[in-house]
Amino acid sequence: MVVSATAVGVELLEALAIVLAVGVERRMRDALIGALAAVVAVVALCVAVGPALLSGADLSFLRVLVGTLLLLFGLEWLRKGVLRMAGLRRRSSSYEDYIEERDALASDPTIGDRDWAARIVAFKGVFLEGLEVGLIVLALGGSPGRMAPALLGAALALVAVVGIGVVLHAPLRRLPETQLKLGVGVALTAFGTFFTAEGLGVEWPLGDVAILYLAAGFAAIAWLAAVRLRVPSRYPAEAAP
Amino acid sequence: MIALLRSLRSLILGETWTIPLGVAAAVGIAALLRSSFGDHAWDELGGFVLAGMIALTLVGSIAHSSSRS
Repeated sequence: MVVSATAVGVELLEALAIVLAVGVERRMRDALIGALAAVVAVVALCVAVGPALLSGADLSFLRVLVGTLLLLFGLEWLRKGVLRMAGLRRRSSSYEDYIEERDALASDPTIGDRDWAARIVAFKGVFLEGLEVGLIVLALGGSPGRMAPALLGAALALVAVVGIGVVLHAPLRRLPETQLKLGVGVALTAFGTFFTAEGLGVEWPLGDVAILYLAAGFAAIAWLAAVRLRVPSRYPAEAAP
Repeated sequence: MIALLRSLRSLILGETWTIPLGVAAAVGIAALLRSSFGDHAWDELGGFVLAGMIALTLVGSIAHSSSRS
């Protein structure tokens, strides 16, 4: 549940940054229409594909499929996280994304009463982030008994992010997103390795505790890589915690 | 539409090919080793073999990205 909540929360923050940027720079109504359409599209896709995916395959195949998906997400988040911590990549910041998106929209004039440009930007941003949320929840909840905690975690994240959006966008600046994403990358990679191996017939020593020692191992590798590669940041404005 | 498809590909497979190729190789090799090892040996050691290959994929993708940046 914690992994689901954190991963979903980080993704939703990015979607929130886009919707806020569109809403502030153009009209909130168009931003919300685009975002709502994207949410409907993602939910429809997950409802259509999810149950068929989860019920149609045997358990071992499903574990390998879920594990592989989690590994693809987790390793990518870890790779980016290590490069950010090492100063080789701009630090992750939904606030910076918000500013960039707002500036880009400011250079594009509003067309007519219905602002399709704003709606499409909001739709695309929310659809892509929402799809990632859907895949993570389906992957984490794919094993028997895990769907409820995964959905609960996602729901808690949704409430928290909507709360942040309502209270204002200022809290976006204070979140340690780079570290959060690195932590989620470690967790997703550990879960992915665990499920894939189980799907291939492995019995982990200490059972589910294996997720903890796998996470510790991947975190250690990520930390060592970040320390070894560390250079003075090329992105001084984003380097502050 | 092409931009959306490009974003979807990047969403699933990431920004580099090293991770999807590494994961595919790790899972494929693990499946081959499973059929070569005895059941008992694989049950106990297979997880660590897979974890090692995933760790190598991570290190390789970081090394590849850092050498390009």
